[in-house]
Amino acid sequence: MPPYKTGLLKRKISENTNKTKDNSSNSSSSCDDHNLIRGDLDKEADSSDSDNEDGHAPSDTELDGVVFDSGDSLLSDDAANESLEESSDVSDSEEDEASDGREKESDDDTSDSNTKATTHKYIQSNTNITKSKLKPDNEDSGAESGSGSASRVQHSLPHKNNEKPFKKKEFKQKATKVAAEKKKANSSLDALEQKIKDVQVNIQPVQEKDEYESGDTSDEEGRVNTAGEVPRWWYAEYDHVGYDADGRRIARPPHADRIDDFLRCAPQPQPHTARRSRTPHTARRTAHPRYMLQCFCCRKCEDPDFWRTVRDPSTGQEIILSKKDLELISRIREGRVPNADHDEYQLTIRPEELVPQLPAPRDLQPFPTGEVLQFRGHAGLVRSADFDPAGQYVVSGGDDGTVRIWEASSGRCLRTVELGEPVRLVEWTPVGGLTLVGAAAGRRLLLLNPGGHVGAHRAAQRTDLLLAEPPPAHDVRMDERTAGCVQWEEVDAAQWARGVRVAVAHFKPVQHFSWHARGDYVVATLEEGASRGVVVHQLSRRRSQLPFRRNAGRLQCAAFHPHRPLLFVVTQRAVRVYDLVKQELVRKLLAGAQWLSALALHPAGDNLLLASYDRKCIWFDLELSSRPYQTLRLHAGAVRSVAFHRRYPLFASAGDDTNIVVCHGCVYNDLLQNPLLVPLKQLRAPPPRDQLSVLQVRWHPAQPWLLAACADGTLRLYA
Amino acid sequence: MTTDQAEVQLQVRFVTKQEQYAVPDSPYAIQSNVQSAELNTLVNAILKETKPLILKAVEFDFLVCGELLCTSIAEHLQEKGISTEDTLEIEYLERFPAPKPQECLMHDDWVSSVHTHGSWILSGCYDNSIHIWTTKGQHKLAIPGHTSPVKGVSWVSNDGEQASFASCSHDQSAMLWVWNVARNSVDCVVTCRGHDKGVECIAVAVDAKHFATGSWDNNICLWSASLTDEDNVPAKKRSKPEQGNSRTPKSTLKGHREAVSAVKWVDFNTLLSSSWDHLLKLWDCELGGIKQEIAGNKAFFDADWSPLNNSIVTASADRHVRIYDPRSTESIVKTTFTSHTGWVQSVRWSTIRDTLFLSAGYDGQVKLWETRSPRTPLYDLTGHEDKVLCCDWSNPALLVSGSCDNTVRIFKAKHATASA
Repeated sequence: MPPYKTGLLKRKISENTNKTKDNSSNSSSSCDDHNLIRGDLDKEADSSDSDNEDGHAPSDTELDGVVFDSGDSLLSDDAANESLEESSDVSDSEEDEASDGREKESDDDTSDSNTKATTHKYIQSNTNITKSKLKPDNEDSGAESGSGSASRVQHSLPHKNNEKPFKKKEFKQKATKVAAEKKKANSSLDALEQKIKDVQVNIQPVQEKDEYESGDTSDEEGRVNTAGEVPRWWYAEYDHVGYDADGRRIARPPHADRIDDFLRCAPQPQPHTARRSRTPHTARRTAHPRYMLQCFCCRKCEDPDFWRTVRDPSTGQEIILSKKDLELISRIREGRVPNADHDEYQLTIRPEELVPQLPAPRDLQPFPTGEVLQFRGHAGLVRSADFDPAGQYVVSGGDDGTVRIWEASSGRCLRTVELGEPVRLVEWTPVGGLTLVGAAAGRRLLLLNPGGHVGAHRAAQRTDLLLAEPPPAHDVRMDERTAGCVQWEEVDAAQWARGVRVAVAHFKPVQHFSWHARGDYVVATLEEGASRGVVVHQLSRRRSQLPFRRNAGRLQCAAFHPHRPLLFVVTQRAVRVYDLVKQELVRKLLAGAQWLSALALHPAGDNLLLASYDRKCIWFDLELSSRPYQTLRLHAGAVRSVAFHRRYPLFASAGDDTNIVVCHGCVYNDLLQNPLLVPLKQLRAPPPRDQLSVLQVRWHPAQPWLLAACADGTLRLYA
Repeated sequence: MTTDQAEVQLQVRFVTKQEQYAVPDSPYAIQSNVQSAELNTLVNAILKETKPLILKAVEFDFLVCGELLCTSIAEHLQEKGISTEDTLEIEYLERFPAPKPQECLMHDDWVSSVHTHGSWILSGCYDNSIHIWTTKGQHKLAIPGHTSPVKGVSWVSNDGEQASFASCSHDQSAMLWVWNVARNSVDCVVTCRGHDKGVECIAVAVDAKHFATGSWDNNICLWSASLTDEDNVPAKKRSKPEQGNSRTPKSTLKGHREAVSAVKWVDFNTLLSSSWDHLLKLWDCELGGIKQEIAGNKAFFDADWSPLNNSIVTASADRHVRIYDPRSTESIVKTTFTSHTGWVQSVRWSTIRDTLFLSAGYDGQVKLWETRSPRTPLYDLTGHEDKVLCCDWSNPALLVSGSCDNTVRIFKAKHATASA
């Protein structure tokens, strides 16, 4: 507990206890401590001290009242008059200045003269103690309302010192009987004398300290800013300004900065009418002599712009704020955006800014930019097309039941193979040394050797030799379930002459097939095949396998991973990835599309692209997540085919709308860097026929050329 | 604007390198909006005064600042950013006369290659046959032999009585033939087997002693062109009763990563090749190494080198024709010629004028270019109704092109020899 509190407490205790006891306890416990002595003093006489401070206990006033009452009669006439005069001053705050002015007209500074006068009085009365306490009363009486009683007490104080014995006597008479008994025990006169001495001796240092520490000026003394009973300056050196109820420090509030000061000082903008209304006021002021006097000193009335004149602290010049400035200030004061034109509800973000920063297409060349060649010859729509591994030839198959071989660079049809049934899909074997084309026609999967008259004789011979070798008999045997749905047919001479080398018949139409990168396996997907919908054929052994026992859903297509023993099976809504070695489901990719149509695997094997009939292209980064990395909605119709370029970071998608979309799809070796997908070019496809436009797109293996199998019976090469 | 230009007077002087048409070296003041037609009349008028020997008016082309004048002088200068204040030097030269369309040689299938020598035209066809024609359009012979489309033909020698030529085909072979002109009979002397895939192009060396072929197996093979094969075939093999003789390559140049699309002899030892792998290579045939490499950014379909200006003109998988300088170490395109609207498939230099070349493209156009006019060809040789696959200018008087419309079209270049 801070010392001043102890003092206060003790004083309060002393009200109820014996005076002498109190004194002895005070002297014994803390004679050296002037704070305690001060508290002593408070108890003794200076209730005005506490009065001056804001929060004073009601008990104190009562006590004061007692003292006052007792002392009033004892006051000398002069003092009484004075006190009365002063009190009247105090009560009349309004007339204070004016009366002073009248009293000492010659003096410019009324307050100074006042002080001088009062000082004189109290020097005469030979009391130092109240000098400092009186002055503020004189000065601040106008400001401090309702302190009339306190001031009166203060005025009585000087006399109190001289007439202490009487006062004490009075006090004692009013005090309890216990006190009276103790007084009787000692010799009352001695005790009193001693008491007076004590008080005087003790008072002296307190007085001096108060005087000098408060700066010895009457002005400041009275204006001491206190919190509770504590002057502010006590905490001048500290970061805190006091303590709260729990004893925690209260931090010093931050100083207002200059802008705040300015805003506080800056005049309130007033409406024009309000300013007008001031004129009659000034007229009235001129009439009144007192107003005249005031206005003379004050620029308010001289300068009509005074209310909006501020001082620029940087230059020291006075600036008259313009109407604009005033509006600005008022807006800032109201906490609004300073700019009046600012519309808080207007969208400040332009749509272009929301588009991610992508490299310019011209920096991502080469990519196909226009149609170069048309391959004409098919009678019906062309369902499928593919380049040979070298990029010299193109194979295509369509609804006219033919498979055609073309020269890629000139669009020359070199060979036509009649299959009799609409050809759903053609795909060249990925092995460079062989000339073998897989073709799905109806329920049969045919492997053709187009090489007889096309290009590579030797490769064709090699292929024929390879296929002519009969497989070991024990290998050919297949289990009953497989045998029930797959039949390796004998190829008759007529078919052989047409180029058919191997024919595999299925129990359902072949929907899709795909080569393994090594060229020995083909995975075929059968329409409505249910649990037997995925068949893996091994060419060297002429046998098939059914890898799945259960029906995974409506099958769309299946494909092998380019270099790992993984099989991707696309059903209506999901892609399942199976490990062929462990024979287990590795992961399931949910595309978020209604109906998937096609699958393309990135040549590196870590990314795949799905097309869906609901107009989406979905990119999966297998290293990243089982969720789509990006869904591209670049088409206005169903997307039927997607393809990755083998060398260039390009992919293309096409479908029922009349655009083929070429995109840049760069996959980085750095695992931390996500693939970069940039749509590059919309290539114009032929107009739709029977709501079909482009059925398949394929990239040239080496050049940035794109081949599209179109519904109008043409193949188109874009470069 | 046009009126402004019309008011501008230009000081010009006419110079020429063709001395028979030289005019006095005095400046003339002309309007800046005149075109080459007006200049032509002016020069002809001056010539009439100064050189009364020239009776007929001559058509001239005008070169301003090294580029052929196609628009008005003012526009041309504006394009070049040259002031009209100075005296302008205009070079003029006799205009290359417009080629006149001659015969149209009808084939049964697409014509993939054509080569002229003297008055004989050799053409290769997609129906596996080779044809010999006269320049008058007379069909001499149809030669079956290949089993796949013929992709390249070239005369080896022709001495009037006996001629020999070579052909290459997608059947992975090249064949050397002897044609007895008098009897009009053809024999396949040698079948050259060595390529793994279709042979795309053929070129016979200047000395006619060997030829080179480029193929889809990315290799270039060099063969002896001698008709008698005693010197290079072992006795054992010769005794084999095969149909015709078989020959193996003298050497194989490996280095391209894609199909070789064209081979051309630069000199007896140096071979130029272009490939789909975006590279032009100059080979040293003796050492079998690469002398120089020029990288383009598209697949090359054809290339030709001219001894007159030592430049390579190329056709690639776009609409542009580009000229490269093989002497520069950097792969910098000297000039790009843009006028075709489809892929350019074939280019040929003129054998007598170093500034002229021929290009043929998938837009069905054959264009005659002047190297100093990169945006406008001198002449468009129209007539083909489909993609033009090949062109030839071996005979300076004949511009020959073969196309997918089963025709070979011949244009005759008049006065071509006179303007040399």
